[in-house]
Amino acid sequence: MNKVPLIHVTRRKDIFWVRAWLVRIIAVALALVVCGVITMMATGLNPIKVYAAMIDGAFGTSRRLWMLLQNIAILLCISIALAPAFRMRFWNLGGDGQALMGALGAAASMILIGDKVPNWLLILIMIVVSICAGALWAGIPAFFKARWNTNETLFTLMMNYVAVQLVAFFVIVWEVPKGAGKIGIINQNSNAGWFPQVGGQKYLLNVIIVSVLTILVFIYMNYTKQGYELSVVGESEPTARYVGIKVRRVIVRTMLLSGALCGVTGLLLVGGTDHTLTTTLVGGRGFTGVMVAWLAKFNPVFMVITSFLIVFLQRGATEITTTFGLNQSFGDIITGIILFFIIGCEFFLNYQIHFRKAHKEVA
Amino acid sequence: MKNFKKISALLLAAAMVSGMVTVVPAEEAEGTQVVAGLICLHDENSTYDLNFINCFKEACEARGLVEGETYYITTNIPEGQECYEEAMNMVDRGCNFVFADSFGHEDYMIEAAKEVPEVEFCHATGTKAHTEGIQNFQNSFAHIYEGRYLAGIAAGMKLNEMIEAGDITAEEAKIGYVGAYTYAEVISGYTSFFLGARSVCPSATMEVTFTGEWEDETLEKEAANRLIEDKCVLISQHADSMGAPTACEAAGVPDIAYNGSTMAAAPNTYIISSRINWVPYFNYVMDCIEAGEDIADDYTGTIETGSVELGELNEAVAAEGTAEAIAEAEEKLVNGELHVFDLSTFTVEGAAIESYQADVDTDAAFEKDTEVVADGYFHESEYRSAPYFDLMIDGITLLDTVF
Amino acid sequence: MERSPVIELKHITKRFGNNIANDDVSMEVYEGEILALLGENGSGKTTLMNALAGIYYPEDGQIFVRGREVNIHSPRTAFDLGIGMIHQHFKLVDVLTAVENIILGLNEKSRYDLKAAAARITEICDRYGFHVDPFQKIYTMSVSQKQTVEIVKVLFRGADLLILDEPTAVLTPQETEKLFNVLRNMKADGKSIIIITHKLNEVLEISDRVAILRKGKYICEIKTSEASVQQLTDAMVGHAVTLNIDRPVPVDPKDKIIVEHLTIRNSDGVAKLKDISFTARTGEILGIAGISGNGQKELLEGIAGLQKIESGSIRFVDDNGKETELVGMDPRKITDMGVTLSFVPEDRLGMGLVGNMNLGENMMLRTFRHSGGPFIDRKEPFHLAKRVIESLEVVTPSVKTAVRKLSGGNVQKVLVGREISSSPTVLLTAYAVRGLDINSSYLIYDLVNQQKKQGVAVVYVGEDLDVLLELCDRILVLCDGQVSAILDARKTDKQQVGLLMTKLGGEAANE
Repeated sequence: MNKVPLIHVTRRKDIFWVRAWLVRIIAVALALVVCGVITMMATGLNPIKVYAAMIDGAFGTSRRLWMLLQNIAILLCISIALAPAFRMRFWNLGGDGQALMGALGAAASMILIGDKVPNWLLILIMIVVSICAGALWAGIPAFFKARWNTNETLFTLMMNYVAVQLVAFFVIVWEVPKGAGKIGIINQNSNAGWFPQVGGQKYLLNVIIVSVLTILVFIYMNYTKQGYELSVVGESEPTARYVGIKVRRVIVRTMLLSGALCGVTGLLLVGGTDHTLTTTLVGGRGFTGVMVAWLAKFNPVFMVITSFLIVFLQRGATEITTTFGLNQSFGDIITGIILFFIIGCEFFLNYQIHFRKAHKEVA
Repeated sequence: MKNFKKISALLLAAAMVSGMVTVVPAEEAEGTQVVAGLICLHDENSTYDLNFINCFKEACEARGLVEGETYYITTNIPEGQECYEEAMNMVDRGCNFVFADSFGHEDYMIEAAKEVPEVEFCHATGTKAHTEGIQNFQNSFAHIYEGRYLAGIAAGMKLNEMIEAGDITAEEAKIGYVGAYTYAEVISGYTSFFLGARSVCPSATMEVTFTGEWEDETLEKEAANRLIEDKCVLISQHADSMGAPTACEAAGVPDIAYNGSTMAAAPNTYIISSRINWVPYFNYVMDCIEAGEDIADDYTGTIETGSVELGELNEAVAAEGTAEAIAEAEEKLVNGELHVFDLSTFTVEGAAIESYQADVDTDAAFEKDTEVVADGYFHESEYRSAPYFDLMIDGITLLDTVF
Repeated sequence: MERSPVIELKHITKRFGNNIANDDVSMEVYEGEILALLGENGSGKTTLMNALAGIYYPEDGQIFVRGREVNIHSPRTAFDLGIGMIHQHFKLVDVLTAVENIILGLNEKSRYDLKAAAARITEICDRYGFHVDPFQKIYTMSVSQKQTVEIVKVLFRGADLLILDEPTAVLTPQETEKLFNVLRNMKADGKSIIIITHKLNEVLEISDRVAILRKGKYICEIKTSEASVQQLTDAMVGHAVTLNIDRPVPVDPKDKIIVEHLTIRNSDGVAKLKDISFTARTGEILGIAGISGNGQKELLEGIAGLQKIESGSIRFVDDNGKETELVGMDPRKITDMGVTLSFVPEDRLGMGLVGNMNLGENMMLRTFRHSGGPFIDRKEPFHLAKRVIESLEVVTPSVKTAVRKLSGGNVQKVLVGREISSSPTVLLTAYAVRGLDINSSYLIYDLVNQQKKQGVAVVYVGEDLDVLLELCDRILVLCDGQVSAILDARKTDKQQVGLLMTKLGGEAANE
């Protein structure tokens, strides 16, 4: 007699959305419980206090709330930039590099012509240059993909390193003071090329810009012909060709858009908030954005939620390590566990688990 | 299954409710009560940051501050907007004294200082406090070149011992130095170290290589190994990881450390180390805050203030008489008999220096603005706390200067 | 019956979400018999067999093998019990040889001994009367050879119950006959065989017993010797069906597509079509017969502007007799020129439709460019989808259901519905009824005939020669990428076409 399998896993056909969200909420709850247990075991701290500190770190003061919004905006910007490429099944892992190139473009404009042109013109030039730089960095692998079907995953990934080295080079060229290996805040006194503050809030403009872009990308992907074309190309290239879509053109066009939006991310960092250029400026958001986009199933509106989640976790993690004097790795562990549960629960959304009913033994 | 659902719902509710209750630490800020925050570029794995963390804890705890309540330490904050954000976070935690430990943090500390004038923002190794004119932003450093010089004496003694033992000839007394960037702080550091060594071993020469990172264990280890292959018989570094000490321990080459003792990791090669003890400065600032007094734009610690310290001496590796030689030189430095950058002890491109304009006030064009030579020596760290000695003296070979 | 059942299924129930694929099915299979499993698309035949092969695990019910209750929770368990399934889509590694594929994944402790395995393969082949070169690479094999490898693989692992899922769909009449001989030999050797097929005359030819499923339920079993095509069809569909294909006489045929000396190479540089010439006329159905992979795909895609043409000419003749050269144009240009050409490709979900998109979005594929401005018009395609659902009786939960979730027949209805909705002047179809049940197939034949009556030039690539002979006006037989013959469908027979398919020009190609 064969062993009766206790559980059996099958693929789900459909899941009612209420149920799907219930599963997700349960996953988050379970993650919090597991994190709590680990926190108690590893540090002896009261987990409720730890969660309270996380929430305090993210929302505790209006300034923290603004910083949370700003970080969400930047992460969201790079995520919506990746979304069209990913919908097209073009695995753009080069968001970091593309954003960095955008940042380089903006910083170069500020440094080189910061005192030579009026501020409105300088900002206009920064916008154009950074968008072009980001688009170029995405367009190169797209062109190679379209023309010679090279592997875009590796290509875009490698372009990140080229971008980092380019930035490292220019940081040395423009370093202040000599030998310092850093540029510092550009035009700290003249503020040339700094985006104006809206409503007296230094982060508000970025938040507004990214909100508008998110809506535009959502419309682009769902309601325009180009958005429809890139979905078809992503689903099936033969189908795209069959209905007369020019696949190569769509690949290059979509990636130019993706890179341009990444470039905007760099622009917002340099012109909007950070006013500097370092190799760590984008800080891996091009990769975090991949996770944001995946979790949201490439839907720009859901990305608001997922990027909020990730930024919240990051800020919360920093806060607990500072408040409780823990090593930063502890915050990463908490973040990791929570993400594990959230991503892991997708399994329960796609698959169903059956418990074998005990039935009569046959002699 | 049903029960399971109920339990999960309960847990969820509990988690949500507990999440809403934000516990704000009770803080009675009476105006003079110090709440301090430290922002570190890396974490305790970097010898540089570890030194700050230890000093900060020591100073804070000595006056009864409690971590997580009246003092805070944040690590791994890059030299960018994150520093500004974290500084502001410190303000939100109630800090009235925020200190950042890395050179690249300076501009962001200035931004924060502009925004919150009632909080003191202090920054190590920075250069701009005396020119920016922001009342609540200060720089600080120490005469670490004196510490380097003393450590250099230990190096020279060791070289002499090796020459006498016949391990090397006098001409082969070559020191290797792992630097981060070709920045004045580094140049000042290796030059003073070299001058210390040459004061006891006249035939000593030095090779310097740069990694382009303040902390990168792999790069530093590779750089040290390269120097050892290049027949450097003694190594020192101005870079913040354990890279060079571990490389030396593996190769059996004596090493002089920075920021703190590496004796535990390299018992067979570590000789001595020099470091800045930040406790006096932290005490100074916190005293000022408590007393409601202004803090100096630039604070430069010295041997006398206890800011410049040598780490434990490894008798097993160091040459005989090292402790005595160092003590003697230290006394002369303190009473002004001896100056590290005595113009008679070095030449630049074969000629002695008689006058030098240094770039003391930071600007993008690196304009030389201040005469720093007088009374027969180079006045390092007197016109501002951060070093500005950036001469390339004879006897030292720079292997690469890309960074 | 005195023989004991090899397999007994009792009250098997399998659900997918809310759909019941198998509803309380009980049946048995005896030693040394060929059982045909018959049912419309979506009636649960493949699901039931997958439960036997360990691919699906039923929620309820019991399976007995030689009287012993078993739990088949993986394909390996199925193998251990002597159950082997040959799937519709072959599961072979192309770059490996036959013998490597056959021993792949075998978990024997013995040495990796290709020679011994090859010897056993030859022995199995000799016993049942087929031929496999153990050291031939899979990618160099024809479809029927690959199928043989799959069967040998199953036998090699000691299966004594073989399940074949639509094995003849990809074979020529001659190959089918060969396969049937092998199956008869296996039966004589005491093996049990379950064969899933739609072709009723084959059911009658090969099987001993027929089991019929309808909508997941077990309907009845019929002894083949007592069955007729009409009886089987009625049982399968649930009501009486007329099985006549209409063939009106073409009215005023005019040349519409003129193909001359067409040569097409695939991406590897292999000539798939060599010097083909023919003409498709309005109001006429031109059938294309041939073993699959003999250039049918390239021919249709060539006309549709999807293949690079090496040489030759494809001309479209408009109503005024003006000829337009189509060579060198892509599908978009062809449409822009005003040539209304519809194409139902062989690969429905891979080319004709987008599986993950819903019905409405799939309707858009052809027309999304027609509206002005940058935005897409979503209303009209969804109306069209609703019309297609109504007129072609597409079974779908809603217009917003992803097409891949529909059954094969419904997918094809959506595709054909869209393609004829643009009132084409030329309709190209490739294997339009492949995998479709009898009801859906007849609906498609009707639709094609309607187009013909409206004066459309239809090119119909098919595999079922009986249907080709009944439906088409003329039949072009392809052999090795060349025109073997163009026949008047009313005056030829299956044998002649079969011969022309395997041998260029045929031997008995006399009118």
